Amino acid sequence: MTERALRAQPRNRVIVSKTVAPYLFLAPFMLLFAAFLIVPLIYAFDISLYKKAMVGGVKFVGADNYVKAFTDPKFWEGVGVLFKFAFLQIPVMIGTALVFALILDSGVVWAKSFFRVSFFIPYAVPAVIATLIWSYLYGPAYGPIGQTARSLGFEAPDFVSAKWILASIANIAQWEYMGYNMIIYFAALQAIPTDLEEASVVDGASAFAYATRIKLPMIVPTIIVTVVFSIIGSLQLFTEPFLIQNMARSIINSNYTPNYYAYTLTFVGQQPNYAAAISFLLGGVIAIVSYAFMLLANRRIDR
Amino acid sequence: MSIVGKTATSGKFRRNRWLLTGVLSLYFLYTFMPLFYVITAATKSNPDLFSTFGLWFAPDFNLWDNLHTLFTIQDGIFLKWMGNTAYYSSISAAGAALFSTFAGYAFAKYSFFGKKLMFALVLGAVMIPQTALVIPMFLMLSKLGLTNTAFAVIAPSLVFPPGVFLMRAYIDDAISNELIEAGRMDGAGEVHIFSAIAFRLLMPGFTTVLILAFVANWNNYFLPLVMLNKPDMFPITVGLAQMYSTAISGTGGVLLFTVVMTGALVSIVPVIAAFLIMQRFWQGGLGAGGVKA
Amino acid sequence: MADRKNASPVTFGFGRRDFLRGAAALPLLAGLPKMASAEDTVELLVWAWTPDTAVQAEMFMKKFPNIKIKIENQGGGKPHYDKLRNAIQAGSGLPDVAQMEFNSIPSFRALQALADMGPYGANDVKDKFIDWTWAAGSDGDAVYSIPWDSGPMGSIYRDDIYAANGLTPAKTWDEFAESAMKLAKDKPGTYLTNFVGASDAGWLGSQLWQIGARPFHVNGEEIHIEINSQKAKDLLNYWQKLVDAKAVDTTPGWTTEWFAGMDEGKYATWIAAAWSPIVMQQSMKKSFGLWRAAPMPMWEAGKNVTSNWGGSTFSAFTTSQHLAEATQFAVFMGSDPEAARLWNTKQFLFPVLKELAADADLMGNAFEFYGNQPVNQVFAESLSQVDPTFEFAPFQDYADQILTDALAKAIGGAGTMADALDGVQDAVVTYAQDQGFTVV
Repeated sequence: MTERALRAQPRNRVIVSKTVAPYLFLAPFMLLFAAFLIVPLIYAFDISLYKKAMVGGVKFVGADNYVKAFTDPKFWEGVGVLFKFAFLQIPVMIGTALVFALILDSGVVWAKSFFRVSFFIPYAVPAVIATLIWSYLYGPAYGPIGQTARSLGFEAPDFVSAKWILASIANIAQWEYMGYNMIIYFAALQAIPTDLEEASVVDGASAFAYATRIKLPMIVPTIIVTVVFSIIGSLQLFTEPFLIQNMARSIINSNYTPNYYAYTLTFVGQQPNYAAAISFLLGGVIAIVSYAFMLLANRRIDR
Repeated sequence: MSIVGKTATSGKFRRNRWLLTGVLSLYFLYTFMPLFYVITAATKSNPDLFSTFGLWFAPDFNLWDNLHTLFTIQDGIFLKWMGNTAYYSSISAAGAALFSTFAGYAFAKYSFFGKKLMFALVLGAVMIPQTALVIPMFLMLSKLGLTNTAFAVIAPSLVFPPGVFLMRAYIDDAISNELIEAGRMDGAGEVHIFSAIAFRLLMPGFTTVLILAFVANWNNYFLPLVMLNKPDMFPITVGLAQMYSTAISGTGGVLLFTVVMTGALVSIVPVIAAFLIMQRFWQGGLGAGGVKA
Repeated sequence: MADRKNASPVTFGFGRRDFLRGAAALPLLAGLPKMASAEDTVELLVWAWTPDTAVQAEMFMKKFPNIKIKIENQGGGKPHYDKLRNAIQAGSGLPDVAQMEFNSIPSFRALQALADMGPYGANDVKDKFIDWTWAAGSDGDAVYSIPWDSGPMGSIYRDDIYAANGLTPAKTWDEFAESAMKLAKDKPGTYLTNFVGASDAGWLGSQLWQIGARPFHVNGEEIHIEINSQKAKDLLNYWQKLVDAKAVDTTPGWTTEWFAGMDEGKYATWIAAAWSPIVMQQSMKKSFGLWRAAPMPMWEAGKNVTSNWGGSTFSAFTTSQHLAEATQFAVFMGSDPEAARLWNTKQFLFPVLKELAADADLMGNAFEFYGNQPVNQVFAESLSQVDPTFEFAPFQDYADQILTDALAKAIGGAGTMADALDGVQDAVVTYAQDQGFTVV
């Protein structure tokens, strides 16, 4: 292959040496990275040091916005919601994805590939559309779930009540992303060499014991990666509460999650500088949480 | 070879097969119900949406009317939204996947000055989600007069740190150092080694990142919501949500509940079809990315 | 060996330069505003959400063939105003003209975004308008918005449910409460009304307006804020009692659930504005023709004071290059008698023109939605009883957001709505001071 490649090579072209090559490969990404991550970060920090009022204009206020944010219950309540959401949603989603992946991998069931594909399909539906659909389904009096339950003689819970709303939002995430995680686990399980399997069968291990004791531990690194991505995804929560708000007004307020709060501050409250401080802090919170999880997970593995 | 073959005859196995297939079937119903609801809702008129049972069709079949409204409302703006979505998502996804692959290749196969620092930066960036930066980015691009442009939606999406992360891990395994060394021995240049030798081998990983980036974009709502205020430029997500809000904002607007559902149906069908057709790619690709990471 | 590899020549396979050039050109692709020269047709971009605004725009274009109107719908209400503020913040993307409800005019004036249409002849039509509607959008000779429709309040009720349960439209709020209690007892599952005050700030504003609460009084950079006045608390205590007794429902307004409930007969009354059937007739098949209108209940028998909810104006923006044409458009939409008449008969928009409000023919128009009742008479009477002294804050949307957040929480079970007002008062005062206003 290399020989043919060599022959196909035209003459008189730019020569890139081994020292320059990595920088060349990195350049497009790193430039965009700087322009759309580092610079906005710096910019966010810069404007968060100012304040713009409807009367009186812009003035430098130093750390005022941060002092305010640190003691702003609206921000911290939002962070609290994110944590509750993550603790509620991620274990259930990862758990079901693992169980289904193990079931499919074990080959016990009929119609394996049908299930595999159909569980993955909601991943193709954008969160906006998924939220619109589910919010119709959730209607307590006239939503189809409530109607079906009633015709069967019992009351479905009020999905948009204060008690259930977070679970209802978590359900939308479950519906959308379970299949995606399942596919990743399934592929990881399939990649485990079969000689292990034969050995364990010879040992007389049951299919269940084999799956949980031998196969599961082998895909732990994969699980960790998916959990980190799920944490990061959960902590960005915006679309679902933003669109389902009008159905659950008593619980979803305009600062329900930090992203929502930043949106409200910028486009309703005319406080973009404060919103920048909130965004900056949210970025910090997410970085700390996901980093802490990685450290924790890695330490467990090392042990 | 699986254990199935070895134990398929036992009674316990048969019981399990029934039981577990039953469990998966229940979950399938759960997965399918919302999609079925979209289909029935798209065939109803607004009043029927409220007064007939949600999970079955109304006597009055209204799909053609809904489609007609969907494609003619505001001078056929829905078609523009579909075009915009395709435009934003495909350019963003292709760019993000390509740049991630280049960067991942550099991290995986070279040692160079500043490598550790740069990779730490990328890793850190994976953890700072883009949405936290949307508002600051909007304010920044406002200053530059660049909001309300395709650029404002596409350019930030070209940065896809998880892609770099995945590609580095994938390339580490998929391309042996010996192969690259062999290429060098043959006198091939670095870029040539990449494009003629390595790229073919890292295709599965590339496909993974391409799909991930495409879905991330097609899914994106917050960024275009904030960056764009010309309806002509909206992607489907922002457009449909806007359409929905005319009914719920409490100010006497047009009620388009069923048209919104028709729009949802029309926009997810091609993507689902694409997923079904490209099964081989994502099943292999996503797995590969996940495992290697 | 390594050296030899380093020295190897290489092809630069893909056009990096081309790509970068392509990327740099992207913003240009997005389309810059087109400059119109004098002899060209002028295109006005208009943001409006009222259904079929295009019909009236067509009439305008027929009359002014050199002005082309392009209507974009940004969702109406909050999403519409969010987008306007987004465009103001971004410094780009503002339309020439936008629909603007009475309660939002001060907010956008405070942002210095609204253009003065006075110099372009807007004052010529001033006298045609009902005084308070004109005053809401003007300041002396400066005209920041031209009224289009008003929202006098009434009681919109289901004739069939009232008849079946021996109810008559309540004349006072006391009677209304009695009827609510009675209906809840006689017919569980059916409510006299659904209280939307915790989800719909516009509606709540109309109720505060009627009872005589005046949350804001603005005087230049000075602002008086009294959200937790006794009158406001009286209002919320009134509803709290009905909510606690489960005599009224509290489903958030404008949801699929609420629309369905109205059509299915779960709610017998909607205290609402003249324009309300514009949405009702789109979603209600079973109850079409069963609705009637009566005057809204009064706080004091014999002392008829009503209020206004919504109703829109058209404003032009300072960024517009075509302010003369924009003014022409806003003037036409508000004051062309033929257009205004059509809007009333077809879309229930209640006129803001003195002449039309006194037009016997129009006031006698029978509406099918109302079982052929000539409801204009009801709303004309209401319009004449509106106390025009109600003011909106220059940050009304934000205050509304805080208010509904707090009331919704209270409805959800955390304390009473009246008590929640104290917290809202503090939050809004802090906000106003933070924005540089002097709170007096």
